[in-house]
Amino acid sequence: MSLVKTELVARKEATGEKQTRKRLLQRVPSYMISYSILEIGVVISLFPYFMALMTSLKPPDQIFSSSAWSLPHPLTLQNYVNVVTQYSFVDYIWHTLLFSSILTIGQLIFSTFAAYAFARLEFPGRDQLFWLYLATLMVPQVVTLIPLFILLRTFNLVNTWTGLVIPFVLGTPYGIFLMRQFFRSIPRDLEQAARIDGAGTLQIMRDIILPLSRPIMSTLAIITFVQGWNNFLWPLIVTDTDDLRVLTVGIAAFQSNYGTQWNLMMAATFIALGPLLVLFFLFQRQIVRSIHLSGFK
Amino acid sequence: MQGLRQDVVHLGQRPIAPVKEHRLLTPGVQVALQAYAFLLPIIAVVVLSFFNWGLLALPTFIGLQNYSRLLSSASFWHSLFVTFYYVLLNIPMQTVLALLLAVLLNQKLPGRGIFRTLFVVPWMATPVAMGIVWQWIFDPQYGALNAFLSVFHIPGPAWLSSPAWAMPAIAAVNIWQYTGYNMLFFLAGLQSIPEYFYEAAAIDGASPVRRFFTITLPLLSPTLFFVLVTDIIGSAQVFDTVYVMTKGGPGDATSVLNFNIFRQAFEFFHAGYASALAMVLFLFLLIITLLQVFYFRSRTVYDLS
Repeated sequence: MSLVKTELVARKEATGEKQTRKRLLQRVPSYMISYSILEIGVVISLFPYFMALMTSLKPPDQIFSSSAWSLPHPLTLQNYVNVVTQYSFVDYIWHTLLFSSILTIGQLIFSTFAAYAFARLEFPGRDQLFWLYLATLMVPQVVTLIPLFILLRTFNLVNTWTGLVIPFVLGTPYGIFLMRQFFRSIPRDLEQAARIDGAGTLQIMRDIILPLSRPIMSTLAIITFVQGWNNFLWPLIVTDTDDLRVLTVGIAAFQSNYGTQWNLMMAATFIALGPLLVLFFLFQRQIVRSIHLSGFK
Repeated sequence: MQGLRQDVVHLGQRPIAPVKEHRLLTPGVQVALQAYAFLLPIIAVVVLSFFNWGLLALPTFIGLQNYSRLLSSASFWHSLFVTFYYVLLNIPMQTVLALLLAVLLNQKLPGRGIFRTLFVVPWMATPVAMGIVWQWIFDPQYGALNAFLSVFHIPGPAWLSSPAWAMPAIAAVNIWQYTGYNMLFFLAGLQSIPEYFYEAAAIDGASPVRRFFTITLPLLSPTLFFVLVTDIIGSAQVFDTVYVMTKGGPGDATSVLNFNIFRQAFEFFHAGYASALAMVLFLFLLIITLLQVFYFRSRTVYDLS
């Protein structure tokens, strides 16, 4: 494979400057098409948020007197202030942050090991067990909730941090599936070369697998974090008290039998969204930093 | 999945040195730890499906009655149909769009980091709040969508109140929400394809389209497999959007299976029947996933070397 590479480099240099300029000019129209498509996509992706934002900046009486599109007049930040001061939303943010972080760390550690075992190690019943794990994804959460809740109640784990994280902290079949697919796409020759040199599994994971897995682990980290952040049904059922409440439950509480406080709900939604955006933007650079599988060095 | 089974290095001899394995890493320990969280509730659900349980009193054993009941229930078959209609509306569109966006954003476009973040933003929304906003958008009289259509003199339907358009509307919301998310996976997959494959093909005179079909798609097949399997499983279990936006209506036009399961368990207090319904959904998903496995088994390329 390295021979092919040297060939390519030689040929590239030979064709010279004229080609480079020509190629750059050729790229401009395709970039413009790309940008147009992307921009349409962005508008579609964001306009519901725009509406939510408008609502969050309006005083309560204006919500239905004008359409959701119209700009707030007067613009007010009172909703945000109310959400933070009258309802313990700052606490909710901390709880949600802790919850999501625990889940993410657990997922990255345990799913990676399990996925490697399923992808590369040999043991009896390996593939059957993997498909069994996968099969658990096919049973709706709505019904597994009930036995899980009863299980926790038996061990007095309702309304505790332990009870809250237990179903997810050792990784999820989804994470294992994702990592396993990725590990299977790493050329076996890399690992085999290391094994010939006498490396054990832990060493291979540390020196070969982990460095190559950065984009997929970043992706899994983000997914797990956001899933934890937006998890609604489970915290709703397992936690009852304000000192464990997470953001999703707090936001849903704005919808009560006495009517919905749309403006507060939308303000709270944006407060809940903020940290996710920051985190995602930081992590996506990792994904951008592409890994060039240059094979054998 | 057999695939490329080359196992331990053979070289015609025994392995060179005994590989030192750390005790804690043995799969057995890993499995034992995780089994309780994944498998115990599932086993409970399977068992429950043979019982009658009102959640208040103790369950009573009724054998296969739940299953015979659902097989003869018209609303069950209808919700099964509605669910798969939804999956068909949702998945192909979502997958194609996500792939398109990933390909576009894999280029060295300035500002691509911002685009990537923005496309994923819909997925980060709180389910309840976004459901409400989309209800506003779909409102026949004051909603943004019909206002937009009226600019082109297209009379917009009643969307969520229309039996014909309610399901497509829900599918549209789901596509909006998850396309960026799927794009992430395709991006990660695209970025592990080595550059020199493309370069070699380009020098041999292959057009971009040709390169896409002979290099990109095959090497993307593990990712595609993952995306399709998990997306179909996920979307067949759609609940949040339906619950917030239509509650199964109008009539039973959007009464997907998972929503029915929820109602049976928490509104009618038939937890045993709900478990049986869940088992049937599980069975269908299992069959569909197995079909996908067999389809992809021969077609998945993990390594072009």
